[in-house]
Amino acid sequence: MTTPRLDITGDVCPMTFTKVKMRLAQLAPLTLLEVRLKDEALKNVMSTLKTDGHRVASVARDGDVFVLTVEKSATARAQFP
Amino acid sequence: MNEADFKELKKGGMMRQVEAGRFSVRLHVVGGELSAGQLAAVVTAAERFGRGRVHLTARQGIEIPHVAAESLAEIKELLSAAGVGIGVCGPTVRTVTACQGCTLCPSGVIDAPAYAQAVDQAFYGASAPHKFKVGITGCINNCLKAEENDVGLKGWIEPATAADAACTACGVCEAVCPSRAIRVPDAETGAVIDASACIGCGDCIVSCPTSHIVANARGFRVYVGGKFGRSPSLAEPVLGVQRSIDDAVRVVAAVLDFFRAHGKARERFADTLKRTGLTALETHLATAGGLS
Repeated sequence: MTTPRLDITGDVCPMTFTKVKMRLAQLAPLTLLEVRLKDEALKNVMSTLKTDGHRVASVARDGDVFVLTVEKSATARAQFP
Repeated sequence: MNEADFKELKKGGMMRQVEAGRFSVRLHVVGGELSAGQLAAVVTAAERFGRGRVHLTARQGIEIPHVAAESLAEIKELLSAAGVGIGVCGPTVRTVTACQGCTLCPSGVIDAPAYAQAVDQAFYGASAPHKFKVGITGCINNCLKAEENDVGLKGWIEPATAADAACTACGVCEAVCPSRAIRVPDAETGAVIDASACIGCGDCIVSCPTSHIVANARGFRVYVGGKFGRSPSLAEPVLGVQRSIDDAVRVVAAVLDFFRAHGKARERFADTLKRTGLTALETHLATAGGLS
């Protein structure tokens, strides 16, 4: 199964981290999600992920885009709104 | 009433108005906080002794204008019974201002109202060469404007790199730092923090994916020599990161000592520092105050 991908390079706060939270909510615990974002969204997205207990498994660069591989928290349940 | 009487009244928070025989009564409001009960007493006092209105001052206080000279003792008594003190004016340590701090504001680093209470308890109304204002702002966002005070305290998070969590050289800290205080030269070196450029926001700490960057201290920085008035100047930082309410009281005590020793009458602290140089204060804080 390919890693689901979320591109928020065109979004501004608070939609950046809101979209990340909503996408993660649809996934099962320990699932990976690739998030593509610009540096201006980094702080809020990173702090939201840490606060919510998700793990940023890796950070890569694609030009001026940051590519995060996020592993959903083991304890957060999947929600399907 | 002669000029000396007016001066004494002013020092005790009763400000002579343009209208003869009327005073604006300044209240003691620490960090802009009053209980609803205290506020009710202020309303009663303004209706009974003033003209049913109050003025919100520039430094989070309240004044009740239009109080007749013969009612000053009575209004003081009414307010005091409700736990509302009278303000000060003249060459004294003024009301300590504060934001709502970390117990209320998600951005807060220090409990600014608690700091304000402690500093106020220690120094409120104490004499100084000129007015002396202390303001406490809970974080780097600086809503309470630390730099406009004689002594401003500003909540501050000091970052450091932790040996027990690896830096992956991902570059997130470098990208989020608003003051370019972090560089990641290469994978082997990892994140390097330039403390002199750091503004204490903590963005690097909340953003670091491996928690390699951690908070070494959550406290405050000290700014001295700010004022507005006829020739405004912004306060300058002194000392490293301080950590506690006790530190805050010690810092203000040491700065006040220096001001009393070197300030001329009717000279604001900013002007004293222009004469002595900031280094003289820094030396005093280190030697007499034992601060660093």
